[in-house]
Amino acid sequence: MEPPPGKPADLDQYALQEVQQEFVRELPDGSKQAHLMVEGIHCAACVWLIEKALSGMDGVSRAEVNLVHHRLLLEWRAEQVALPDILKRLAALGYAAVPFNLESVEGKLKQRNRQLLFRMGFAGFGAMNIMWISIALYAGAFSGISSEYRHFFHWVSWAIATPVLLYSGGPIISAALRGLRQGRLGMDLPVAIGALATYSYSLWQTSQGGAHVYFDTVVTFLFVILVGRYLEALARSNASSATLRLLELQPRMATRVTADGEERVAVRKLIAGDRLRVRSGDKVPADGIVLSGDSHTDESMLTGEFRLVHKRVGDRLAGGTVNVEGSLIMQVEQAGSGTVLARIIHLVESAQGSKARVQRLADRIVPWFVAVTLLLSACTFLYWWMHSDFDIALLSATAVLIITCPCALGLATPMAIAVSTGFAARNGVLVRNGEALEGLSGITHVVMDKTGTLTEGRMQVVDIIAADSDRLLKLAGAVERHYSHPLAVAVCASVESAGLCFIDSHDQQLLPGLGVGGRVGDEQGDCEVWVGNEKLMQSVGIEVAAGTREACARIESQMGSAVLVAADGVLLGLLHIEDKLRTGAVDLIASLGRQGIAMTLLTGDSPAAAHYLQQQLPTSVGAPMHVMAGVLPAEKAREVVALQKRGEHVLMVGDGINDAPALAQADISIAMGGGTDVSMECSDIVLMGSDLQKIPWALSLGRRTLRTVRQNLMLSLIYNIILVPAAMAAWVTPVFAALAMPLSSLLVIGNAILIRRHMQGVK
Amino acid sequence: MNVIYGLIPGMILLGLVSVLVFFWAVKNGQYDDMEGPAHRILDDDDMDESDRDSDSSL
Repeated sequence: MEPPPGKPADLDQYALQEVQQEFVRELPDGSKQAHLMVEGIHCAACVWLIEKALSGMDGVSRAEVNLVHHRLLLEWRAEQVALPDILKRLAALGYAAVPFNLESVEGKLKQRNRQLLFRMGFAGFGAMNIMWISIALYAGAFSGISSEYRHFFHWVSWAIATPVLLYSGGPIISAALRGLRQGRLGMDLPVAIGALATYSYSLWQTSQGGAHVYFDTVVTFLFVILVGRYLEALARSNASSATLRLLELQPRMATRVTADGEERVAVRKLIAGDRLRVRSGDKVPADGIVLSGDSHTDESMLTGEFRLVHKRVGDRLAGGTVNVEGSLIMQVEQAGSGTVLARIIHLVESAQGSKARVQRLADRIVPWFVAVTLLLSACTFLYWWMHSDFDIALLSATAVLIITCPCALGLATPMAIAVSTGFAARNGVLVRNGEALEGLSGITHVVMDKTGTLTEGRMQVVDIIAADSDRLLKLAGAVERHYSHPLAVAVCASVESAGLCFIDSHDQQLLPGLGVGGRVGDEQGDCEVWVGNEKLMQSVGIEVAAGTREACARIESQMGSAVLVAADGVLLGLLHIEDKLRTGAVDLIASLGRQGIAMTLLTGDSPAAAHYLQQQLPTSVGAPMHVMAGVLPAEKAREVVALQKRGEHVLMVGDGINDAPALAQADISIAMGGGTDVSMECSDIVLMGSDLQKIPWALSLGRRTLRTVRQNLMLSLIYNIILVPAAMAAWVTPVFAALAMPLSSLLVIGNAILIRRHMQGVK
Repeated sequence: MNVIYGLIPGMILLGLVSVLVFFWAVKNGQYDDMEGPAHRILDDDDMDESDRDSDSSL
């Protein structure tokens, strides 16, 4: 028999017309087309499996998987097969899919990248072709060329360079103008001035029949700049990976209770006063009060606390929390932007707005660099104009502009970051904000959330105290598999991991707050099974020995839960269930301590739980470590602010919605991959797995990246210090400058690629 | 050497064609997935139903 099934009911919402119209397109031949994001694709075999399975279905005319972006292009005939059925087939294979809207933020980003690729490709075409002309011209300069051909070649170069300047260089020039109007000296300015000055001078020379034509310089230099920008954009779009937005895109449904019965409606159509039914296992769709029913809800996503909260008639329910036990009828008080969840998101946004971003090293240097370049170029021009003629003046001024080419400087940071983010992604660390990598090396204080970050974030059976543990597990699993309570899920997971098969039960009953019961038929005959806490055993008249009671008390004091199991009136034993520390948590603390980084642990749990946690962690780590208990979501952010006021650079590690404001507030933030989408949304870095050792790894990658960026900046500065005076003295012709320029860019690129080799030894 | 007046515009024309092909390829999504198609060649097309079912449990 199979473990408890998921909730296929959710997929049925995709049959609704109003849900479909958001992402399904009708094709001319009458079939339908949709882009879906598929979660769980990790290799080529997945692509094969999905494509085979779906195209084998009747009515599916096209199923194509994009391995890199985890997208599925689906075309089907609505009269032959329904979308929910296709999605259920996909779910049966183990993949979850949600609609992907090309109009969404992500779709727009992809479009922008595509535009950039066009511009880069076009500049590349220009650079390749103009090179042939240049080779002919250079050869001609050495071995003689008739002025007629030279003139012709110059005009051909002009014909290639003009569209490249307009199409590929257009956005750079307009960005430079925009920056100038706003009084900013950006990286675009010297690029634009260099390109325009060289172009205009070459055009003037060409029309005069002169020899100094540098259209090839303009084109090559735009191409190199665009390659750098494209790499940067690519790194950025890789980071905002599809899976991160899965939950956000999910249209959520609610069951509305009306006079005529029940209907399924989209959450955003709810208004205050609506009556809703919230079944066991469903998310509460909006904030409201309980009208009838008795249940427990899991509010961990809001509070970080895993203990369930008892809800009775008149109690408040928060949208987004999960109803784990009985069915409830609730009245909506706040929907949409008024809910607790929406307020937390607002908190996040305001924290993001107020936080001083880590300013990139290059960004601080660039305005000065640009100003100095322009000044030197102007001085050179004026000096030679007064002491010599206009031609030499313009030539040397242009040489200064070209030779101080910001290429190397412009590539220094993006190249290093592109290499690092790509390398990190392959190692399961997703860098959403490349600038964060540089900032990581300055971190002096790490703030960590307990639940879900240092601990697994889910209940697990850690110990079974019983004479026959297999039988106890089997009986408990038989009853618990019908419920979605976190403890029930833990029991079922333990049955599976013990390699036992599920047996069936009947006449199950749920006693809210106490436990569950039912009749189970196993090899020893049909028996009555009770699974629950001490109070349940008392209420059904089963005797609990003093030793067992002590064990229960001990487990409760360590923030665990003791689940007692009885069959036919006899206690079989107990299960110790708790949210375990992640493997690697101890090593993480120790390794951060060795690096002299102070730590603060924040938890919404009670001081007793915090104390127990502290006992499990290494005590003397060489750096101060504080544990703060009973912290509310807003207080977590305030704690971060307090540390920042003391001059600390704070790295926040968290996973829940309750951590989101603190994650947004911290200088740099890391979210755990299994966490909520909101926490990932406002973090700079997301860990794809649950390996905590990736945190110190990311820190050393950050340090390495910053070092490489610094080296790159040094390289380009040294290059400039040597060649700029030469250009100012009019020793360097623009041709030589154009040859030296790509060389410095190559040096910077090569140095950035070395990051991978440096990081190889680091675990 | 007058042939050069025909050859060079010809070269640029050819280059332009390749740019158009590149634009078409980008628009057509040829650069969207740089990894998947390399593995697609290894997919086994002629599998019958029974094989497929046993494989889908992987």
